[in-house]
Amino acid sequence: MGKKMTLIHLNPGDKAKVIGFSTGHERFKSHGLGPWSKRKHRMGMGLARRLQEMGLIPGSVVEVIRNMPIGPVEISVMGTHLAIGRNIASRIYVEKI
Amino acid sequence: MNKKLYTIALAGNANVGKSVIFNQLTGGNQIIGNWPGKTVEKAEGLIEQEGIKIHVVDLPGIYSLSTYSEEEIVSREFIAKEKPDAVINVVDASSLERNLFFTLQLIELESPLIIALNQYDIMENKGLSIDFEMLSNLLGIPVVPTIAVRNKGLKALFEKSKEVIKNTKKVKPILYGKEVEEKINILTSVIQKEIDTFYPPRFIAIKLLENDTSIRAIIKNPDIIALAEKLKKGLIKIHGESPETVIISERYTIASRIAGQVTKKKGKAKINIGDNIDKIALNKITGYIILLGLMLLIFYGVFKFGSYFSELLGTSFELLKPIFIQLPLPPLVNRLLWNGFMIGIIAGITIVLPYIAPFYLILALLEDSGYLARIAFLTDNVMHKLGLHGKAFMPLIEGFGCTVPAVLGTRIMERDRDRFIAAILATLVPCSARTVILLGLVAVFLGPIYAIIIYALTFILIYILGRLLNRYIKGSPTGLVMEMPHYRKPVPKIILRQTWVRLKDFVYFAFPIIIAANIVMEIFTELNWVVPIANFFKPVMTNWLGLPPLAGITFLFGILRKELTLIMLSALYHTSNFAEILTPRQIFIFGFVTMIYIPCVATIAVFKREFGWKRATAVVIGEFLGAIVLGGILNQALRIFMP
Repeated sequence: MGKKMTLIHLNPGDKAKVIGFSTGHERFKSHGLGPWSKRKHRMGMGLARRLQEMGLIPGSVVEVIRNMPIGPVEISVMGTHLAIGRNIASRIYVEKI
Repeated sequence: MNKKLYTIALAGNANVGKSVIFNQLTGGNQIIGNWPGKTVEKAEGLIEQEGIKIHVVDLPGIYSLSTYSEEEIVSREFIAKEKPDAVINVVDASSLERNLFFTLQLIELESPLIIALNQYDIMENKGLSIDFEMLSNLLGIPVVPTIAVRNKGLKALFEKSKEVIKNTKKVKPILYGKEVEEKINILTSVIQKEIDTFYPPRFIAIKLLENDTSIRAIIKNPDIIALAEKLKKGLIKIHGESPETVIISERYTIASRIAGQVTKKKGKAKINIGDNIDKIALNKITGYIILLGLMLLIFYGVFKFGSYFSELLGTSFELLKPIFIQLPLPPLVNRLLWNGFMIGIIAGITIVLPYIAPFYLILALLEDSGYLARIAFLTDNVMHKLGLHGKAFMPLIEGFGCTVPAVLGTRIMERDRDRFIAAILATLVPCSARTVILLGLVAVFLGPIYAIIIYALTFILIYILGRLLNRYIKGSPTGLVMEMPHYRKPVPKIILRQTWVRLKDFVYFAFPIIIAANIVMEIFTELNWVVPIANFFKPVMTNWLGLPPLAGITFLFGILRKELTLIMLSALYHTSNFAEILTPRQIFIFGFVTMIYIPCVATIAVFKREFGWKRATAVVIGEFLGAIVLGGILNQALRIFMP
């Protein structure tokens, strides 16, 4: 493995295990993130918590339904579909399975 | 049951059908729709039955009892402080796991619970069935299956709620893993002795371990905080994760276990039509084509329908005029009656109603079908440039109906900064009153394309303003996290009711204002005040904006309700053939300025309530000056094309 992946790197149909959230400033190569990717802002604790409460707990498995080239990512988790903005999705580390 | 008044609260995740149940139980008029976050304020209704009164409270939809958003604080405090006699936990049967996660937290609040297992039909379509007796036994809570939109199971739910009110038995706590439970117990026993609040001690203990800042703030005793910190360190040591992650994932483990135990596969899952629709409706190309096409279709549909009926009704009402003129009354009274009162009523019916009625109907259809949330998904990227996220699109869409609920609806935004930006932009979204002016004046007398140009100009303005606000208001935008609702076949009864709820506001609230304004205007005319007032506005109106001086008066009335600008224009000139009184350029400028010049009084009031005087005043003055400056520039520029 070695290479760190996030939700935006996955294709529709891919399944992945959630590893954690980026709460630092590290950035990835922009995948259609637009000018916003230049801004440094990290995921606050509140948001990380909200995502966990929506079922994105480290270890849980998600399936990517849709990955808009410059828009949000839609995933299936805990039996429901969740739309996640691109910026947030780029801060959710996953491991493809 | 010995006391007279009981309270039942409806709580649960967003978009599981709480407001539908509320409306069905109370006959209330909560605005409902198939997107998460409609209910931003708690709504209340009353049921009277066999001498007892039951007060029903519809709480905003939430995913957790932490304090991430304002809705969660509202709901948590209501349940803990007001201690309702029963809490109906509305649960989406088709995603039991996610919903039980919230149920477990309600159990921690130790309120008397009933579960309404709603959207039972959608679950069955997935080829699943739930053993609700087993669910009831596992949780120690009564469970009633319901399909709220079809009014199924609600009677049983209400009867069960009354039973729960009668015999208040405490729900037994659901236990976490051994290590966590140990720490909760240590904290609980200390809290029990030391602290007296409306929250149960066990709840406080769990929330302290979960790093809940607002619970931490009410704990005055530093020893307890120190103890909690020590216990949290212990959890981190064992699990290697932050304590809130440990607790959240244990809670989900319990929810999954229970959901797994009670859910059975039953037959084959029907092919999910919604997923197939989304393949096209949310496709990166066809999705946007459909969105744009739909918007144009709605625009043309409402315009064609409206202008046809407007003319038809207008000519019919003209037939009444001779009857009124010949009434044996003093001429002054007669003029007040016809020019003031009757013209007011006719204007409301002919100019406004034909456009807003179909518009509200379509809005209800968009909401109820679930497409609205798809629009949020598709536009998330554009919204992000405005410093907002896709969820902001929902209050903004609401703004096409009326700005007041749109400003209120911005509460679904998690942060104050995002809310404020969304609310300012919402005041600029052409509401139904402004649409009336665009369709009834600009589209009819200049052509639909000109109305579209003004729409486009308004959207460009919103876009530029959004970007500017985003740059100059501190902070960075949060992102979208939204549960996608299922598509639902719209239920005619609910659509019609929803349309009527909005229309009723117009009939009961706006009609009297329109009539009163017409009478006031007629009195002005009788007293010969019209010309002096108009002259006062002349420098700005005529010299700068190129409009007739009388337009100043109509703009004055327009502060009450935007459609009054058009109605007053027809009252002043005694005609609704506006081509006779305005040149094409004037029509265009009139339409544009009305779009943006000032929010109406109702909007200003709600803005003040939500954001305070300072911000409300700033927005009013800003938009007023902006409209005059931009309208004037546009007027000068248009001289080239429209002499």
